Amino acid sequence: MIRNTRRLFRKKQGKHPYLLNNDQISKPQTAVSENLDQNIYKLSEVYDACSDVVFRRCQLFGKTKAAIIYIEGLSDVEGIEDYVLAPLMQEAEAESQTIHELLELKLPVSKMKKIYKLADCIESISSGNPVLLYDGGSHAWSLGLAKWEKRGIEEPIAEGGIRGSREGFSETLEVNTSQLRRIIKSPALKIQHMKVGRFTKTTVAVSYIEGIADKGLITEITKRLERIDIDGILESGYIEELIEDNPYSPFPQLLSTERPDIACSSLLEGRAVILVEGSPFILVAPTSLISLLQSQEDYYQRFMMGNLIRWLRYTFSALSLLLPSLYVAILTFHHEAVPTALLLSIASSREAVPFPAIVEALLMEIIFEALREAGVRLPKQVGSAVSIVGALVIGQASVQAGLVSAPMVIVVAITGISSFMMPRYNAGIAIRMLRFPMIFLAGTLGLLGIMLGIIAIVIHLCSLRSFGEPYLTPLAPFKAEELKDALWIAPLWKMDTRPHLTGDSNTYRQSENQEPNQGKGRPST
Amino acid sequence: MKRLIQLLIACSSMLMLGGCWDREEVNDLAIITAAAIDAKENNQIELSVQVFVPQSISSGGSGGGGGGQSGGAAHTIVRFQTGSNLSDALSKLQSKVPRKIFFGQCKVYIFGEELARRGIQEHMDFLLRYPEPRERASMYISEGNAKKLLELQPPLERYSAEVARELSSMHIGMEVPLQDLDEMLIGSGKAAALPYLGLLPPDKGEKKIQGIPYILGSAVLKEDKMVGTLSGKSTRGLLWIRDEIDNYTVTLKLEGEEGEISVQALTNHVRLIPHISDDKWSVRIKARTEAMVIQNGTNLELSNPDSLRAAEEALESEIKKRIEVVLQQVQHEMKADILNFGRAFYRKYPRQWKENEHRWSDLYPELNVEIAVEANINRQGFIDKPGGLPEEAVKKK
Repeated sequence: MIRNTRRLFRKKQGKHPYLLNNDQISKPQTAVSENLDQNIYKLSEVYDACSDVVFRRCQLFGKTKAAIIYIEGLSDVEGIEDYVLAPLMQEAEAESQTIHELLELKLPVSKMKKIYKLADCIESISSGNPVLLYDGGSHAWSLGLAKWEKRGIEEPIAEGGIRGSREGFSETLEVNTSQLRRIIKSPALKIQHMKVGRFTKTTVAVSYIEGIADKGLITEITKRLERIDIDGILESGYIEELIEDNPYSPFPQLLSTERPDIACSSLLEGRAVILVEGSPFILVAPTSLISLLQSQEDYYQRFMMGNLIRWLRYTFSALSLLLPSLYVAILTFHHEAVPTALLLSIASSREAVPFPAIVEALLMEIIFEALREAGVRLPKQVGSAVSIVGALVIGQASVQAGLVSAPMVIVVAITGISSFMMPRYNAGIAIRMLRFPMIFLAGTLGLLGIMLGIIAIVIHLCSLRSFGEPYLTPLAPFKAEELKDALWIAPLWKMDTRPHLTGDSNTYRQSENQEPNQGKGRPST
Repeated sequence: MKRLIQLLIACSSMLMLGGCWDREEVNDLAIITAAAIDAKENNQIELSVQVFVPQSISSGGSGGGGGGQSGGAAHTIVRFQTGSNLSDALSKLQSKVPRKIFFGQCKVYIFGEELARRGIQEHMDFLLRYPEPRERASMYISEGNAKKLLELQPPLERYSAEVARELSSMHIGMEVPLQDLDEMLIGSGKAAALPYLGLLPPDKGEKKIQGIPYILGSAVLKEDKMVGTLSGKSTRGLLWIRDEIDNYTVTLKLEGEEGEISVQALTNHVRLIPHISDDKWSVRIKARTEAMVIQNGTNLELSNPDSLRAAEEALESEIKKRIEVVLQQVQHEMKADILNFGRAFYRKYPRQWKENEHRWSDLYPELNVEIAVEANINRQGFIDKPGGLPEEAVKKK
């Protein structure tokens, strides 16, 4: 039997060939020819059956044949008309100037680039920059006139907050990098672009602060990104799954956020940020469990409030993992462990319930998860109404019908609320997922099973790494110096040192004596 | 990864193998709230259990709040069974109860008086050995039959066991958990005192069943057999000597004065100082107490040091009197060392104790006991002069 199971899980031998696709076969690596017609012929062959590609032939200054090639909707048509075609179609006054000089003189376009290969022409056209080809030139011009419809900067939907910036990232990479740049104005903020995905050619940007982030980390990230050879990247989630350290862990090893302020605080801590074109969610590496439990507002509020709220969050994170399983364990095995009055109340409310506690718990938890998922997927207009009705039906009607006990509904409700307290959505999912095996363990082995489950989770967490950084840092390995931002939040003026991540670090992040009011209330003279 | 999945499959099958053997849903439990053990003829015993009825508290979510107390179904039922010992009775009793009898929440055990006079050792063994009973459960001895106390349906609490427990937690009488009873019986004294429960009959108009158990005093056990009872007042003296007195109100009659003064305890501290000289064993009971005046029925102004001293002296002699009463009964009549004297000697004179332990039962009744009480009244309450008394009538010494 074991042999059979082994066969079941054996990896398929042999590598499958990932063939070069049409795009690459047809992509002419040849240089731009001096003959315009030949160039246009080659390009129109590439763009065969692409009716949105526009080839516009014209006469340069009345003497040279030329063509502008762009894709409809990706380029600024008005700009092409006003700033390219209009000046180009004027007759040249002086005969002496060469075409090259005339172009530099007459075209009021700020971003112009000479390109020499047809492949570069194609790339430029695909990303929205029109290409100007002309007879007799051994190069083409890429004009920076890309313009397409995009969403404006809006409030981050998945990560709300009371205090702090209301801006969120959007789908446009340039807007996102500009948001980072607007917060960190130093030229030490580096942003490196690269293209990932054979068809999508998604731009992925790695951003870090030179002098704070470890160079080894950046090399590692770049290396892992370059390894990716895949058809397309549609969301930063693809990148996350392709570069994380341990793909079989339920815990996310990269923090994803749509808030520029969180991205910048991570940058200032020496982490690197990965931005992906087309996704408002950016990735932060390396990440620890503690940083998934930190919210930006812990720092924006005064530190006492921050401490209070952070501990509330820690407690409820544990509750959201353990509460249903504790309830099941105590109700099936450890009846003596609850106060008598409480047990009597639970006993009387469970009297009519036909299911054992574990079935009841699983049933309710699954229905709750379904409700939540439905609430996310449903159209906005009906979403809230349906989820409220669902909650009412499940909460009240099922109790009245005697299918589910009222304490169980309370337990599920508290668990649900506490799982919403996780500031990072993907960390919440991990805990939601682990809740079910914990309920199973509780239903079969009682509190002993819960202990075993916790031990297994802790061992797993200890073995996790995120880009070389242990996942439980600063708790394991223990770093007393960094507890000030993990177990509690020290006041801002006391947080002199940066967290030490991989490799070298730049130790201090502020000068000493930042404590306010050192003159004990007397105005300084 | 392959290994991990194999490991997971192996582990999950282990769950199926090992799990669930002692799984018990709450719906399948008969939650025992109190148990009573009575003596029957032919050396048999009768085990009665008070079983909580879950349906009695509103079921099905129809607004939990106040359902129950009046008119509704009884919160508890009583089932009983005779047997040659506890475990025998229990196993037979199970056949009369459709759910598994569960002692884990039982916090009250009552021995019937007759059974207690026969001896409780073998029953103690079961309660301590069997995993379910709690070691913190309160132990009682009842006046007469214990079963009748379980059948009561008190008007104020859900079930009668709760009444007994709440009453003893107020420290009016003894409060003895199972663990402590065991320690008393095997300790240096080899004697124990348990709260002695009686039945407070219901008032006119109430149903006959609505009586409550209440604490009459203490039952004294020597070795494991009950030898006598102490009244409520003597029990207070017993609590004094054991330094378990928590709160008291004493009403004093001052010599040569009309009316009475009532004082309430603030702090109490009692020490037993054993002494051995020339093979003469003696104990000095040193009690210190601080009290506050809660009622002054005399015309004395207690802010006056002389009047205050008089009141304090009266309090001292009152406490001394209480202690003497219980000494007379316990030391000389019952000859049971429930006063911790033996332990005091063992602590201070371990070597002499070891030599003389075997004749402690002879030594104990002959002990010379000296009582020293120091009482201070250091609070007057909100007023200092007698309330409602004209200024002229207040006596100033």
